[in-house]
Amino acid sequence: MKLKKLYFFLLLSIPLFAFTMHKYYVSLCEIEYVEDQKSIQIILGLFIDDLEFTLNKDAKKNLYLASTEEVQNIDAYYKEYLNNHFKVVVNNKAQNFNFIGKEYDGDIVRFYLEITDIKELKSLQITNTSLFRDFENQQNIIKIKVNKFNKTFYLDKNNPKGLLNF
Amino acid sequence: MKKLFFIAISLFLISSSLIAQEVEEKTEPKKEKEGHYNINKFRQLHQELPTPNKEHTASGAPGYEYTQQQVDYKMDIILDDENQKLFGEETITYHNNSKDVLEYLWVQLDQNMRAPNSKTPDIEGEGPGVLYTPGNFTKSFMGKPFPGGFNIQHVKDINGNAIGYMINQTMMRIDLPKPLASGEKFIFNIKWWYNINNYMVDRGRSGYESFPDGNKLYVIAQFFPRLAVYNNVEGWQNMQFWGRSEFALEFGNYQVSITTPKDHILNATGVIQNPKEVFTKEQYKRYSEAKNSFDNPVFIVTPQEALEAEKGKETKTKTWKFYAENVRDFGFASSRKFIWDAMAVDINGKTVMAYSLYPKEGNPLWEEHSTRVVANTLKVYSEHTFDYPYPHATSINAQRQGMEYPMICWNYGRPGPDGKYTERTKSGMIGVITHEVGHNFFPMIVNSDERQWTWMDEGINSFVEILAEYKYDSELFPMSKYPKNITGYMAGDQSRIAPIMSQGDNVFNFGSNAYAKPAAGLFILRQTIMGPELFDHAFKTYAKRWKFKHPTPADFFRTMEDASAMDLDWFWRGWFYTTGYNDIGIKEVKKYHVTDKPTQQAKDLATRYGITIDQLPPALYLVSEDSDEFTEDLKNKKAEDYSILNNYIEENFTPEEKADLKAPKYFYELKFEKPGDLVMPIIVEFEYEDGTKERKQYPAQIWRLNDDEVTKVFHSSKAITKITVDPDEQTADVDLTNNSWPKNTETKFEQFKKNQIKG
Repeated sequence: MKLKKLYFFLLLSIPLFAFTMHKYYVSLCEIEYVEDQKSIQIILGLFIDDLEFTLNKDAKKNLYLASTEEVQNIDAYYKEYLNNHFKVVVNNKAQNFNFIGKEYDGDIVRFYLEITDIKELKSLQITNTSLFRDFENQQNIIKIKVNKFNKTFYLDKNNPKGLLNF
Repeated sequence: MKKLFFIAISLFLISSSLIAQEVEEKTEPKKEKEGHYNINKFRQLHQELPTPNKEHTASGAPGYEYTQQQVDYKMDIILDDENQKLFGEETITYHNNSKDVLEYLWVQLDQNMRAPNSKTPDIEGEGPGVLYTPGNFTKSFMGKPFPGGFNIQHVKDINGNAIGYMINQTMMRIDLPKPLASGEKFIFNIKWWYNINNYMVDRGRSGYESFPDGNKLYVIAQFFPRLAVYNNVEGWQNMQFWGRSEFALEFGNYQVSITTPKDHILNATGVIQNPKEVFTKEQYKRYSEAKNSFDNPVFIVTPQEALEAEKGKETKTKTWKFYAENVRDFGFASSRKFIWDAMAVDINGKTVMAYSLYPKEGNPLWEEHSTRVVANTLKVYSEHTFDYPYPHATSINAQRQGMEYPMICWNYGRPGPDGKYTERTKSGMIGVITHEVGHNFFPMIVNSDERQWTWMDEGINSFVEILAEYKYDSELFPMSKYPKNITGYMAGDQSRIAPIMSQGDNVFNFGSNAYAKPAAGLFILRQTIMGPELFDHAFKTYAKRWKFKHPTPADFFRTMEDASAMDLDWFWRGWFYTTGYNDIGIKEVKKYHVTDKPTQQAKDLATRYGITIDQLPPALYLVSEDSDEFTEDLKNKKAEDYSILNNYIEENFTPEEKADLKAPKYFYELKFEKPGDLVMPIIVEFEYEDGTKERKQYPAQIWRLNDDEVTKVFHSSKAITKITVDPDEQTADVDLTNNSWPKNTETKFEQFKKNQIKG
């Protein structure tokens, strides 16, 4: 038992282990401010296997993401993880987001999050530390679209925050 | 009459475009534009590709002066299970088939990558680790690195005299007593030993895994000093082994004896020469009979036998004897824990054995799938290349491994302790076995230089892997995920992307760069640009030309064109030599109607040509709906309503021909934009008012004169309600928001939210 746990931990220090992996450590988050709906719409896509690795570790059990064995209340795990690792500050004020839902698409899970009642957007700050703890080379890309304006941030461990002023 | 009419029209067209140019130049402010080199995306790869020669020809085949060395090995190996050490003595026969005189030989010492003085850790510029196991902590901070690396005991010639040598990290220079002339051979002997690494702790493509009861599972490779390649392109390929970019090796024959504890089960590259000595009577019987089992795997070593064996700990030994012909390397796996199953595979009338060796921890996944996956891989790859020439292919279950050697490979994938596993574990395991067994073809037989070009084996292999996986389980491995799986990577941060044509040690996102992107590129070529028939023939030609030889990227690029009559330089340039991505969209759609009244444009044309409107040849004109000349009544007019067309048809066509003519009712001017850097075919789907659909594919060459946007006129008898560019996502288009007309105003988010509420 003890040994098994050790193996489990060992995995952490060796994320890039196989020579067959078709992988890259990147997440993509698309954010759009839709003025007439006063809404900030967020789609955050993460690799399922990486997220599973991290969530399993936190939960200390196998959650069997995106499979027939998936635990019943998986959204609770997702919400908690996102609340801890994905933070949005609008007009200098931290905002909670609504968890609209998730979809599985092949290797990727996409979270749909929304912040409502934003009448005017003066500044937007995104912090996304998802997967940084367990994956050394993780890069979180944030694409922001406000009307005709586009901006992309490339966040990583050393630089987990992006701020945009209008 | 017919001819004359066309000449007149084309004359007008030519002159109108000439005039247009002139006018443009006049209105532009007088500014000298700087000249430039040819920057057309369809220019040939003359600057990028090496000049062809008599060794590697312009057609992409080996030339008549192509040469290749041969290296034969005779080795005696002892596996010390008690102390995890490996001892070996090898006699190497080096055949200098080149036309050159060699003053020295270079031998690869890959194990030195994990020697205490290895420079591999020194070139890693990483921050502090997230956590450190005690093993890693001591290794990293307490001066207790793993004592790995080769201990060279002697290097001697055939008479037992010591030969001078010098070791530079992972390369050893053998100083020949006298220069080795072309056609001569040199025989020498190396004795060595090293400490085997625990690959669960120290990583690596080989080593051992330790189980709770102390039993070990060994997967042993890069375990003996191996000759570096001397070829027509690189001379000696003695670039250091840093741990990532793999190997360049010569073909030869191997005679190897391996001594293990008596209760170990082992398989290796090559065929066992003394099966009666190493198997029990029962096992030998099953081993022989398995050659007739084509339908299902049968056990050679049963789970019960493996369970018995792992309880004991024999101190006595036995020796396994192998012979392998025309292989570029040698690997073996050994453990008390191995279950062994086998199935015969018919490759065009020749029987090849598919084997799997796995501990009980691999079940129930392994007994169900491994050997069947091996068999499937051999069949599909043989169809796409050449008949698998070796006597067996073996899949070994090793935790967290995925590594290939001739005839044998290590593959991960184990269920949880409760025997449960997710679809991802299963697809990962089937995927890795397909991939590693597939490596027998690339690079074990089509023997490219892995140290220099990772994509030539990993990328090409990952491509054929897609076809083989699909054949094995089309639901688990749908092809529809290609090539769109690569768009996330290609649209990413340009500062973290390198072209595929980069040496493997120097790229970011190795997996995407060297595996997934080249595979997706070949997938696009096969499915969309060349079509399976042209592609498969050319691909097979490449594999056959370079089977048991050393191809280069140019040989691949040239052969694919040579065997298909398709100029693909634009594709190689964009996809392999640059980091550009594809993004094509539909920018504007204009509707036109037919009239027999000359439009303003026609009038201008007449003026420019110095004729009156009456002097224009009889013609029909297209009027854009958004122009001033458009009148609502034109909407109801059909082309055949105009006598000028009817008269023409009457005069020029037979009744049968007339019956086949169909006048279109709707005319559209489609303007496509290309924000992306790559050129790609434009695939357009038209959806009509009656719900039917039609597709048109414009070749990539449509972009040859304008790299930003192109227009096409499209006509139909039914009104178009919707236009979609690349509807099946066949071209790795990174941004689909500009792919439809009318523009989809509902965002992906809104669609999802709506469905979510509905659901």
